[in-house]
Amino acid sequence: MRCKRARDLISPYIDGELSERERVSFESHMKDCVNCRAEFEETLHLHNLLTGAERFSAPYGFSTRVLANQETKTPRKVLLVPLFARFTGVVAVLIIIGIGIVSGRFLGRGFSFQKSGNIAASFSLDIFNATPPDSVGGVYLAMTEAKNEK
Amino acid sequence: MVNANKADDLSLISRFKAGDISAFEEILIKHQDRIYNVCRYMLGNKDDAEDAAQDTFIKAYRNLRDFRPDSSLYTWLYRIAVNTCLDYKKLPFFASIFRGTREDDEVVNELPSDEPSPERLYESKQTGHALRVGLKQLSEKFRTVLILREIEGLSYEEIAEVLDISIGTVKSRISRAREELKQQITKFTEQK
Repeated sequence: MRCKRARDLISPYIDGELSERERVSFESHMKDCVNCRAEFEETLHLHNLLTGAERFSAPYGFSTRVLANQETKTPRKVLLVPLFARFTGVVAVLIIIGIGIVSGRFLGRGFSFQKSGNIAASFSLDIFNATPPDSVGGVYLAMTEAKNEK
Repeated sequence: MVNANKADDLSLISRFKAGDISAFEEILIKHQDRIYNVCRYMLGNKDDAEDAAQDTFIKAYRNLRDFRPDSSLYTWLYRIAVNTCLDYKKLPFFASIFRGTREDDEVVNELPSDEPSPERLYESKQTGHALRVGLKQLSEKFRTVLILREIEGLSYEEIAEVLDISIGTVKSRISRAREELKQQITKFTEQK
């Protein structure tokens, strides 16, 4: 058996998953190959550490809580939406608000003088003038005033 | 032993399907420790582990009527538990912020000794810490197969059933996971 094949069989050997033929061949290789045997022993040591790790018991009252919740509790549901997609809506809203703020400031600056002029004009008393200057009445008045002065 | 357990589980399921709700309580008590244990190792802290284990049994309760006897009950429960734990790790971003960080619990390796010396206890804690750190560094698929194989003691066939993958894939993942874990532990111990 070659070393590469032997190394591939280390884990299944430790887990008792080899056929009889593979097991015999593997053990024979381990007797002859120092490097493979060292790797096998490292993996076996790791396996023993893990299998000796602490086992946890369900906490006190666990079954009571499950039975109490089984009718009412809904198991947690998770939206399986990609991470970037979850931010898309928020980012889009923030961009729109940002555009609105920037546009508003820009437009407001451009119209400020014209706006004040229009506001002033809207409060002018000229609109109440019965004979605006450019009307027929207004021309007639201008002519009679000029005549009186003469 | 395995066959006796399987027959016992099938009997409980039959009783449950016939309307005997107390059969579910027996199933719960019989399997709660192994399910809680796998959740604890997959999620790393006791609060999440209890939530996930509870959700597992609630889902099991709601779907037990559809259970098919061609698989064993405990591999079916493990499958629900593993998928539940993997879903827990996919929490939406804002939910994970407001939930806050839950500290991982220390998983201490205990040596089978009647009167461990202080040196051995220290060594045991260091080993356990290195193992915990190493396990945490693994990818989900590697960590899952190692937990099912090394800690839960499932066979390759049972792991294939739980994860819905081929036995060849199980074999390959376990080999690679052990190699990766060895490297992570070596890296960790060299940094200290």
